[in-house]
Amino acid sequence: MRRLPVYLLLDTSGSMMGEAIEAVKNGMQELVASLRKDPYALETAYLSVITFDTSAKQIIPLTELAAFQTPDIKASGATALGDALSLLAQKIETEVTKSSPEVKGDWKPLIFIMTDGGPTDNWEKGLKELQTKKTGEIVACAAGPSAKTEVLKKISGTVVELATADSKSISAFFKWISSSVSQAGINLEKTGADLSGPSELPPPPPEVNLVV
Amino acid sequence: MANTIRITATDGTPVAFVDEIIGSGTMKDVYFSPDKSYVVAFFKQKQDGNSKDRLENITGSYKDKIFNQPGGEYWQDLYCWPDKIVEYNGKLGLICPTYQKNFFFAKGSKNDDFLGIKGKEKEGKWFSSAKNQNTFLAPEERGDWFKYFQICIRISRAVRRLHAAGLAHSDLSYKNVLVDPTTGRASIIDIDGLVVPGKYPPDVLGTPDFIAPEVIATLHLAANDPSRKLPCIATDRHALSVMVYMYLLYRHPLRGGKVYDLDSRKDEELSMGSQALFIEHPTNTINRVKLKELQPSQLPQSDPEKIPYTVCGPYLKKLFDRSLIDSLHNPAIRPTAGEWEEALLKTVDLMQPCSNPSCWHKWFVFDNTTKPRCPFCKTEYKGVLPLINLYSSRRAGSFTPDDYRLMVYNNQYLYPWHVNRNISPNEKLTADQKKPVGYFVFHQNKWLLVNQRLHGMEDNTEKKAIPIGQAVELTEGRQILLSKEEGGRLAIIQLVQG
Repeated sequence: MRRLPVYLLLDTSGSMMGEAIEAVKNGMQELVASLRKDPYALETAYLSVITFDTSAKQIIPLTELAAFQTPDIKASGATALGDALSLLAQKIETEVTKSSPEVKGDWKPLIFIMTDGGPTDNWEKGLKELQTKKTGEIVACAAGPSAKTEVLKKISGTVVELATADSKSISAFFKWISSSVSQAGINLEKTGADLSGPSELPPPPPEVNLVV
Repeated sequence: MANTIRITATDGTPVAFVDEIIGSGTMKDVYFSPDKSYVVAFFKQKQDGNSKDRLENITGSYKDKIFNQPGGEYWQDLYCWPDKIVEYNGKLGLICPTYQKNFFFAKGSKNDDFLGIKGKEKEGKWFSSAKNQNTFLAPEERGDWFKYFQICIRISRAVRRLHAAGLAHSDLSYKNVLVDPTTGRASIIDIDGLVVPGKYPPDVLGTPDFIAPEVIATLHLAANDPSRKLPCIATDRHALSVMVYMYLLYRHPLRGGKVYDLDSRKDEELSMGSQALFIEHPTNTINRVKLKELQPSQLPQSDPEKIPYTVCGPYLKKLFDRSLIDSLHNPAIRPTAGEWEEALLKTVDLMQPCSNPSCWHKWFVFDNTTKPRCPFCKTEYKGVLPLINLYSSRRAGSFTPDDYRLMVYNNQYLYPWHVNRNISPNEKLTADQKKPVGYFVFHQNKWLLVNQRLHGMEDNTEKKAIPIGQAVELTEGRQILLSKEEGGRLAIIQLVQG
């Protein structure tokens, strides 16, 4: 059965300390709880978490929703977004099943990136590595005023902006991830033009601003 | 506490709702009435004149055509049909009855509901997937195989009635049908997208898994291209056959191992569209399920070698062959909803309870062999199994087979539709016709048919009457005339030694 891989890339740099990091943890819990109530997601979605501060770590490998346990994360250090993108590229290579004439591969992975600051490493190098992999939709979230939307726009076609990195707007973003994954579970197999419109993502919640 | 908003529906009746969204889909936001007896669903987007006109017909003349007829109340349980239209703050809304209580999970998932789905709607997807059935659902929610037949009968019947009224649902799928395997009930929801040929075009393509191959294969064409295929009654028929297959076998009939393209999306388009091929096609084996691509949680249901579609019995095999082989790419000859309903009903009469108390299917369809056994848990039937072949007369004195058999089990009932060819077990049954006319019992090592209400019942082998309150023993070859009325049937007994 084809799996739908979902990668969450979360900024755990020092500036996320306090309300923001707690909101991210809470958001992840709510995300998993709501996806577990969705029989489509439960059947196909697999979740992985990569955090990045001074370097990037995959703290949860690609895991079935029912077995996913929300990790404890702490904020400290710099913002190695480039390292996170390189690690993501490696993980897609090793964790996502590729199609061959004999084997049905997984769906293209959905990627959600959330950061509250500008990258402190060579993000272009990471992006180049990621671009060699087949990915589905990439959504980047600029949390708060210090995030660099111009960098995120180079990584992803869809950048959403949270005015402040507070718990309410972070929670809204995670809710949006949840509905995107749920809808992807249903829409995935929808091919070609959709009568209802070209966008695959649901409209963002009112607390989030979409940067186009 | 959220405010209650009071407005007036377009038909002039009062409507109230609590200003707090209880659910939100891609198209609509849903609110409860203060007493929760109905919901108000507001469209997120502005509806054009044509959509509005369609909704007026759905809540008006189409509804009347189905519900305001003799026996119309029968359909209340089979659809969640919108009642009224409201307009509020520039948004169009529909009033629908609240789903019946049995369509919400009472237990939910395993391990004291570890998923937290108790109280959620019983969307069909939960039950049509082997992984969801095996890994997540609480045993109390899963029902037995007989209940899934009842669910399929009700869905087929509801679709048959829509089609008879000239309406196509256009998005039949396990998303738009609520099912309750604890009682065998089903209800079609999301009726606001009904398609009327030549009048209201579809506004959705359907839900993946259920979109007909010709619709996917012509997606790349412009909407007004005459070769472009859109949802209609013929595509509903495809969706219905897939749904019956999935509710009875817990796998998708077209999702096999064949890779048509290395790009997952293109592969999907080909395997569900122009190249669609039944995974159990008897001669073309290229799309067979590959065992190594299945997860352990999908077994055994997802392995057609272990549980082939023929376990559904001869009537359904014939229809699956027609729908998934002959007419998969030839919409004009697809089996109708009425044919599905009839085949399912006849199959129910071939069912036997499994003697293994831990078999979760609990029922199986008699396989027409001399050594019947449950195909799911492999338990063999022990003892004598009576089988009744039903004949009826089209010319005085001569009886011909009706291709209709009834399997007997202890305490099973005989109903008017077994006794008379002109009676079918559907919405037209009178209250009296729903009551049994006799029953079967295994008593002192003998199989007996007890006559409860049949006046002209006769043992044709011994040429004597079987009065009400008396029994006749079921022995090999015995002929029992069940009724002397027009359409009355003759039963010929066969005994299988299990």
